[in-house]
Amino acid sequence: MRSWLPVLRDRRRYIAFEVEAEDRVRAGDLMAEIRAAQTSLFGDLGSAKNRLRMISFDGRFGLLRSSHLRTEESRALLVTVTSVGGTRAAIRVRGISGSIKAATEKYIPQSTLQPGENKRRVDLGPVSGSVVRTRGREIDLCPDDPKMTEGSATRYVGLTSFDLCGEDIDADGTSDGL
Amino acid sequence: MRSYEPNLHSLPDGSSSASRLALAAKRLGYSGIIITNHTTSGWPLGVEAARLVGGIEVAIGAEIVASDQRSLHSKATSLRDRAAFLAVHGGDEKINRAACEDPNVDLLAHPHRGRAGIGVAGAKAARDNQVAIALDLSSMIILRGPARVRWMETVRRDLNLIEKFDLPLMMTTGARSHLDLRSPRDLTALAGLLGLDRERALEALALPESILDLNRRRWTSVGVELV
Repeated sequence: MRSWLPVLRDRRRYIAFEVEAEDRVRAGDLMAEIRAAQTSLFGDLGSAKNRLRMISFDGRFGLLRSSHLRTEESRALLVTVTSVGGTRAAIRVRGISGSIKAATEKYIPQSTLQPGENKRRVDLGPVSGSVVRTRGREIDLCPDDPKMTEGSATRYVGLTSFDLCGEDIDADGTSDGL
Repeated sequence: MRSYEPNLHSLPDGSSSASRLALAAKRLGYSGIIITNHTTSGWPLGVEAARLVGGIEVAIGAEIVASDQRSLHSKATSLRDRAAFLAVHGGDEKINRAACEDPNVDLLAHPHRGRAGIGVAGAKAARDNQVAIALDLSSMIILRGPARVRWMETVRRDLNLIEKFDLPLMMTTGARSHLDLRSPRDLTALAGLLGLDRERALEALALPESILDLNRRRWTSVGVELV
């Protein structure tokens, strides 16, 4: 696509949101619901001025693009979404930012698993956290201290079951090393 | 600015427990909630659990459902000492008017539900008796099409009245579930579409707290406080 003149390019804001719902929510359903809410509240004319687009949605957190002058309108129309694909849901705006990068870094938590959410805990002195997933002897660990993965651009700490020798992680009856 | 949500319904009136509402409201940025179950469905369950949530004040009030003016006044008098906050289930023209005329009432909830509004006489009475008018945004959130248009017309007219008589105003979602709750910022944005400016909206969100403070003091008679 030919690039638009920089001075004429319309400015954007990115809205980071979280969907709270009783069931799983699909991105297509969500966008259809948002569009319906938008046309219902502002009509075709008002909707055309906003240029709302869905940038990403992972089932819980997502990004919407909106015109920089119409963020309050966008917020208001997201408020009026009460159900998505037949299940009760609510959209919580987490924050608004000027670039995808800033919105993602500031408002969308990088680790979807909060420390302490999982039952299986690992505590190795300097490394502690909860187990996200295991495959064979590999263990992905969500660290309690988020600084632990800084610099490596990973979410989780990689461990193996060998690291856990002598730990009582097997105490729950799974004695296969994990 | 501290925001309060003045008109929530918890189990058995709504579908979420008091503690779930408190937790959701805390996460959305409220400093306090007032649970006002309808008098027809009984007091909230698990209030102790809600107080354990911490970081958010949970007050228990009541929303009076009355069929006529006399029963409204008698219920308001009898509930005044037991509830920290008294709301009235509005919507009917007569009930709206009667609520505005009762100094025991703190809040007239959803007066615009039945296309009635408060009217000039009601607005004057509300000013004299310090009855707050609720801007219940649940209709704006849930309704679509012509029904919402009618609701917005009524509200727009009444907001002019509220402006003119400088009536106390509160904003609420009247939530019956944690999914009905909306953050203070969201309510401000919605109210902005109705023509309510930001300062007025923030004032409306903060008003419930000052009313609760007033209710907690011991008044021996009108304007006389027992210190």
